[in-house]
Amino acid sequence: MRLFWKIAGIEARKRMAYRTDFWLNALVAFVTELGVAYFIVLAMFGSSERLGGYSRSGMLLYYVSVILTARLVRPADLEWAISDDIYQGALNRYLLYPVSYGMMKYATQIGTLLPATVQVALFGAWVPFVLGIPEGLHVTPASAAMAAGAILVANLLHFLSVYPIQLVAFWADNCWSLLVAHRLVVMVFGGLVLPLTLFPAWSQPVVNALPFKYMFAFPVDALLGRLTPGEYAAGLAIALGWCVVGAGLSALVWRRGTLQYTGVGI
Amino acid sequence: MRYLRLYAHFVRFSFSRAMEFRLDFFFRIFMDTLWYAHHLVFFWVVYRHTTLLGGWTLDQMIVFAGGVFLVDAIQMTVLANNMWMLPNYVNKGDLDYYLVRPVSPLFFVSFRDFAANSFVNLMMAIGLLTWSLGRYPAPLGAGAICAYVALLLVGCALHYSMQMLFIIPVFWLHTAGGLREIFWSLDRYRDRPHGIFTGWVRRVLFSLLPFSLIASYPATLLFGGRPWPIVAHIAGVTAAALLFMVWVWSRGLKAYASASS
Repeated sequence: MRLFWKIAGIEARKRMAYRTDFWLNALVAFVTELGVAYFIVLAMFGSSERLGGYSRSGMLLYYVSVILTARLVRPADLEWAISDDIYQGALNRYLLYPVSYGMMKYATQIGTLLPATVQVALFGAWVPFVLGIPEGLHVTPASAAMAAGAILVANLLHFLSVYPIQLVAFWADNCWSLLVAHRLVVMVFGGLVLPLTLFPAWSQPVVNALPFKYMFAFPVDALLGRLTPGEYAAGLAIALGWCVVGAGLSALVWRRGTLQYTGVGI
Repeated sequence: MRYLRLYAHFVRFSFSRAMEFRLDFFFRIFMDTLWYAHHLVFFWVVYRHTTLLGGWTLDQMIVFAGGVFLVDAIQMTVLANNMWMLPNYVNKGDLDYYLVRPVSPLFFVSFRDFAANSFVNLMMAIGLLTWSLGRYPAPLGAGAICAYVALLLVGCALHYSMQMLFIIPVFWLHTAGGLREIFWSLDRYRDRPHGIFTGWVRRVLFSLLPFSLIASYPATLLFGGRPWPIVAHIAGVTAAALLFMVWVWSRGLKAYASASS
């Protein structure tokens, strides 16, 4: 456990080292995402008072929250790191270490949380003053605590959903296309592109059963006070269930992949 | 003619290389198919709650989406791999290899790697654009359709120029990708209809960062916009962006310090 936190600490320091790049990219990405979402919301609410259970300012608050939540759940460029290790043969040295490779990589991901949290705090500081808390939403210390728990589970779930895909690099020369595909699916069914309540009623049971909602929309719903304690507990249970599936799949793919890994890179 | 022959060689090499890695070939088709689906799902869900978005109906929006798909497929097939590698060439000094060739280095670094595995998606994008135009409920006119497709190709040139303008700073910054990440963030504006943007953001998207001119503004040509102002605006901005990019590229080459760069 001490090693886990040490690795996380090293990654956090590394992230902060490239300050200009780090902050400039993060700021432009945030402003752009929010800008596009802002204009989409304005256009959508041209003729309606409420959509998918949100008022206009409520939906804007949803978008700000989900964009910031995504920063805590999905680290910037670690999605490619594992497949890169395999392509380039850099995995060799990790195989000699007396710790699990997956655990080390997850510690690295946790390390990115510190700078990401600083970003979220800074980028989100204006929200209460500009958007306030729109009618129908209830942001309280309790809902914030629920959201924090949901984000931690979401972070693990996202890692465990990307990890087995990255391990496909044992067989394919390049699996970045699969990672982009994963990102697209997660964006749509996780509620990053649109609030999931806008999806048709018949699709809701499917969306609720899939793991993607629990990565982004679920923590935001918890933050905005849109979940009862029962719904929150059920959601966490489903997310943790998917974590078990992801961990099992990862172990299986890892075992088969390492059996035929030659260690020379591609 | 010489450059066309050279490009034909690039394409041949790329296809033979892509056939060596068949799994990746299918992964890329899968990814691009999902990218198209993700756009169509977005508009489909939005139009369940509104009849107009940025002044366009769902049918008009699907035509616009078809245009975005075509521009993106051309970018992914012809340019994407090259744009990805360019910062590495500069940072590691591998650009030397291109500078000693008896052809334009800009042509060589921009077009050398034709992504054969994205070529299937280019066909798919053409099919989707044809489908979107075919299902449009009113007659569009062959002339307008030809002009629209021509403007989309001009939009590709504009997109290329803008992307290069964000990558070329690597000559001075020596970062992993120049300002590439910033470009990718801003590129989201390309995929949304210009009608939703208002005020100074709209003005910027039509001039300084002309993302709306790549696929969105050309579509107005089909929906009753006055053709000549649209064509003049897009052609003018594209020409200016291309010339500026070539000038910045030449300045970048002067700043290039080979392997120690």
